[in-house]
Amino acid sequence: MTSQVVADEIYGAVHPAVAEALGLDDAEVTPEATLMDQLGAESIDLLDILFRIERATGIKIEAGDLAEYVQGGIPDEEFGDEHDVITAKGLAQLKKVMPQLDDGALAGKLPATQVMSHFTVANLAAMVAGRAGTGR
Amino acid sequence: MPGGGTGDLRERVALVTGGSRGIGRAVAVALAAAGAAVGVNYREGESAARAVVAEIAENGGTAAAIQGDVSDFDQAQAVVAKTVAEFGGLHVLVNNAGIARDALLFEMNPQDWLDVMNVNFGGVFNCTKAALPQFAGQRDGVIVNMSSMMGERGWTGEANYAASKGAINAFTRCAAVELARFGVRVNAVLPGFSPTDLVAGLLAKDDGRTIKRQVPQRRFAAVEDVAEATVFLAGPRSGHITGTLLPVDGGVGAQLGLGRTNW
Repeated sequence: MTSQVVADEIYGAVHPAVAEALGLDDAEVTPEATLMDQLGAESIDLLDILFRIERATGIKIEAGDLAEYVQGGIPDEEFGDEHDVITAKGLAQLKKVMPQLDDGALAGKLPATQVMSHFTVANLAAMVAGRAGTGR
Repeated sequence: MPGGGTGDLRERVALVTGGSRGIGRAVAVALAAAGAAVGVNYREGESAARAVVAEIAENGGTAAAIQGDVSDFDQAQAVVAKTVAEFGGLHVLVNNAGIARDALLFEMNPQDWLDVMNVNFGGVFNCTKAALPQFAGQRDGVIVNMSSMMGERGWTGEANYAASKGAINAFTRCAAVELARFGVRVNAVLPGFSPTDLVAGLLAKDDGRTIKRQVPQRRFAAVEDVAEATVFLAGPRSGHITGTLLPVDGGVGAQLGLGRTNW
């Protein structure tokens, strides 16, 4: 299968998982929608979404993996500065997993606590597809 | 084909902690009779656990003895993992392992309280945690906690035991609410007085006649009474029931005092 076919299949599993876990209509869940800010997901909802994805795809992702994936293995002290604002290095990593970020506008202004509020349905699907690709 | 047969629990795998004797033994036998493959957990009573497994096999069922002290978090994880490895899955967890260290508060030492809490409530917490990834991943799991009417009422000499069962009851309600959306049901069975080794001390005086007079049904719970309620809560017939505390007590909990004056 091509990577696009895999990505489409994964999105086909992620979309209903998000809609069902959050009790939303299919149309409300768009690839661009942010999970926490726009769709209102809380911690327990994220767990529910991940277990639903696991059941549909067999790909197991734990809640802790999400933050690790976003941070890309960069140590905390390099990811955020002393005021817990994301560093340039951190922002470059975030741009890889959240390509929609306007890194120019966010440079020096993104608090670490706000990072996950930018994570979209498409970002989640890409993460799951990445796991599928690596067989993890 | 985990347990074989045609019962409500065919194709299901169950784990019964403390399954080698008393109520746990009866629950293991009843779950197997309903079609489940059963992991019979024991801490020290290997021969008793093997006897339960043999009895289930003689009845045409499937079971395996699974050693482990569920009051220890790591061992509880291993007990669940061994059950999954043995039967290829897990769908029903009966948290039954329990001990008693009855004493008047004046004479109860801190270890009496800690031991009872660690086994009775700690075992519930540890095994629930251990089973959760499996249950949530398959969006299918049932937990039945063996509690006691002691968790809802008072009795002299039972402060530590009653507190551990009260903790189980509170945990049951919270876990049911939290886990419902993950396809996991959590309920508890609350036996009144059942003549097992655990309550032998309570029933020793006058052969339990004084206590029996306080039971509206005028009899103790047979372990099979408790097992039948457990099988019901473990199976599909209770599919919309979660967070409930089900007394199996002959009416003790419904009663205020002896319930009669001059009648």
